[in-house]
Amino acid sequence: MIPQPLIDAVIVLALFILRIGLPLGLLMSIGYWLQRKLRPEDFESATTFDGKLTWRKRLGREINALPAWFPIVAMLMAIGAGAGVYRLAAGLGASTNLSQAYPWGLWIGFDLFMVAFSGGAFTLAAIVYVLNMRQFHAAIRPTVLTGLLGYASVLIILMMDLGRWDRFYHFIIYPNLNSALFEVSWCILLYTTVLVIEFMPVALERTRWERAKNLLRKLPVPLAIVGATLSSLHQSSLGTLFVIMSERVHPLWYTPIIPLLFFISSIAAGLAMVVAGGTLSYWVFKRSLSQELVGGLGKFIPWVLGVYAVIKLGELVYIGETGMIFSSGVYSALFLTEMIVGVLIPIVLFALRGCRASRAWSLVGAVTVLFGILLNRFDVAWFTLKPVPGYTYFPSLIEILIQIGVFAAIVFVYTLVGHYLPLFEGLAPVEQTPEPNVFRPEHAY
Amino acid sequence: MNLTRRDFLKAFGLSAAALGLGAKFPAAPLALAPKRAPIVPHGGNAMLMDTTKCVGCKSCQLACKKKNGLPIDDQPVSLCATALCYVDMKNVSPDPSKPVIQPIKRQCMNCNDPACVSACTVGALQKLSTGPVVYDSNRCIGCRYCMYACPFGIPTFEWDKQFSLMKKCNQCADLQAAGQLPACAKACPTGAIQYGRRDDLLTIARQRINDPQGKYVKHIYGETEVGGTSMLYLAAVPFQALGLPALPDVSPAEASQMIMHSTPLVAATVATVLTGLYFVTRRLTAQPTTVPVHPHIGGH
Ligand code: SF4
Ligand code: SF4
Ligand code: SF4
Repeated sequence: MIPQPLIDAVIVLALFILRIGLPLGLLMSIGYWLQRKLRPEDFESATTFDGKLTWRKRLGREINALPAWFPIVAMLMAIGAGAGVYRLAAGLGASTNLSQAYPWGLWIGFDLFMVAFSGGAFTLAAIVYVLNMRQFHAAIRPTVLTGLLGYASVLIILMMDLGRWDRFYHFIIYPNLNSALFEVSWCILLYTTVLVIEFMPVALERTRWERAKNLLRKLPVPLAIVGATLSSLHQSSLGTLFVIMSERVHPLWYTPIIPLLFFISSIAAGLAMVVAGGTLSYWVFKRSLSQELVGGLGKFIPWVLGVYAVIKLGELVYIGETGMIFSSGVYSALFLTEMIVGVLIPIVLFALRGCRASRAWSLVGAVTVLFGILLNRFDVAWFTLKPVPGYTYFPSLIEILIQIGVFAAIVFVYTLVGHYLPLFEGLAPVEQTPEPNVFRPEHAY
Repeated sequence: MNLTRRDFLKAFGLSAAALGLGAKFPAAPLALAPKRAPIVPHGGNAMLMDTTKCVGCKSCQLACKKKNGLPIDDQPVSLCATALCYVDMKNVSPDPSKPVIQPIKRQCMNCNDPACVSACTVGALQKLSTGPVVYDSNRCIGCRYCMYACPFGIPTFEWDKQFSLMKKCNQCADLQAAGQLPACAKACPTGAIQYGRRDDLLTIARQRINDPQGKYVKHIYGETEVGGTSMLYLAAVPFQALGLPALPDVSPAEASQMIMHSTPLVAATVATVLTGLYFVTRRLTAQPTTVPVHPHIGGH
């Protein structure tokens, strides 16, 4: 006899492969093929042309100078946009698998973990400007951009999720201060504004608008304080959303202090994003903080995760529900995965000096943190909701395509900004002889 | 579970400085939030459904559809956007081979301390002092938070439309205001649905369950559940078998609002602590007082 949880797990896995893996793989292969078509050799030879370039050749050259994944990403984004238009035109019922028992789904899960992952922006700004650890300053720009793109994508997805998306501004003019979702919307709106201002220096650097630049020079510390305050409010009130759902969320996850847990884990997620970004930008963009500094940020992670674990488990001990950790079938498996992969392993990894000194191992540690928090957000918002007889939920193709499109848009904008704006200034190529950098415009031609 | 968890929240109040959880903070701007159920002394108007008198004719369901201008030719299988009142034919027999059908009319409970009102992002839901929980469809943004917040899973959604809104019963607040019966109560041929003042209905219900020859379960569902509701039920079988969940006596809105009300305190604390940290660490690291912004800025 095969145990039921195992069968469930296999079915869910198969569904994931069929519904997410297959379309994604298919789209990627079409994209790869298109990209080969888009970048024929004659774009290269156009450079030897007599100086007069047609717009087509010029565009071809610009695309050629961008990284190889760019056309694929652009196509995924275009498909996502198409799916988005279909969703807005056809309505929620026709385009999603949401239902009476599961009125929220994939998109809310995405909002939750994306906001947590974007916690790097407020955490790093606080570390650099409030705690005056200026040595980490060079990582601010890429981190702020990641945060900004994260929040912008959350705003887009939130809008997709509204039955009356044409009334999205109602939360501004009809406040209900008892509502956690009201607080979340307001804080995200305000904090996105903060991020835009924090990002302004990058956008303005190559302009001659000196007055604006002088003004921005005075702002980092107050902005960091306002940003961290707003973040502590909405990171936690994303958890408050679920406090009212005491009848739906599984007791292992339901607790009135879930806002506190969401807030602390968002700091861990934010730090992990900066650490992962350190290694990734080293590999992909050939520019990064020195590993010494990345490891220095990694040092915070065991402390933050430790506090998180103590509060989370302490609450279960206080309530006397520790027995449930092992006796709840699939839920136990989810809970233990979260705690072991997402908390225990990274605590051990980042406590080891050898791990902090290695780019690859730091990335592994950061990915386990992010995985744990991603799983936690999906557990709370989807996986552990009390089942309602007659209802199941798995995202529809449209939901998935829009989601993939939003991810692609993040990479798309990030690539463009990295290519055309001084994003990695101050991040010297380290621990390696300098290589020609595809992201420097002077190398693009 | 819920009670212990709530006690825990209170015990946790001392951590108010950390994130302000549990502190009841009298925030001035909360005037913008919907008022907490200022119920009239007799409990407002309510309905009492005696399921033992119901014959499952579904007249109430049909009358509700007509009153609300909903299509009457479909066959709903649950509460949905076209059936705000639904007669659920519950099999209450423990023996699957001998089904015993007990109908129950389901609809919004019009709670006294409604979680949906507390949750609604834009304050589209409101509890009237006379009983009904009413809905302003011109405000609703279709976020569906109310659907998750409601402990009974009542609010439905117009999934089939391009622009979808929430839908739920409001106990015919307009008819009530005009001094008439709600449509379902008027339509019921057996007297299974009674409409009146909540305290009168509770007296009637208590007489029935205390009758020594009575067949009733000794509980009035809705008297205390989630802070009491304007819809009361009597039954001869356990209420859970009829699909009514076992719920604590306090509304889920309570813990949530407690946390929400601590928001200004949290914000003030975090901002103060961060500002303090800035000055302390600046002194410790002996940095120049001007903020060294990115060296490349304006560096042309
Ligand atoms: S039953 Fe649900 S929808 Fe109706 S008033 Fe209570 S909380 Fe709101
Ligand atoms: S769906 Fe409408 S009524 Fe329900 S919480 Fe959202 S805005 Fe309020
Ligand atoms: S009209 Fe009365 S008897 Fe008929 S289904 Fe409704 S409650 Fe039952």
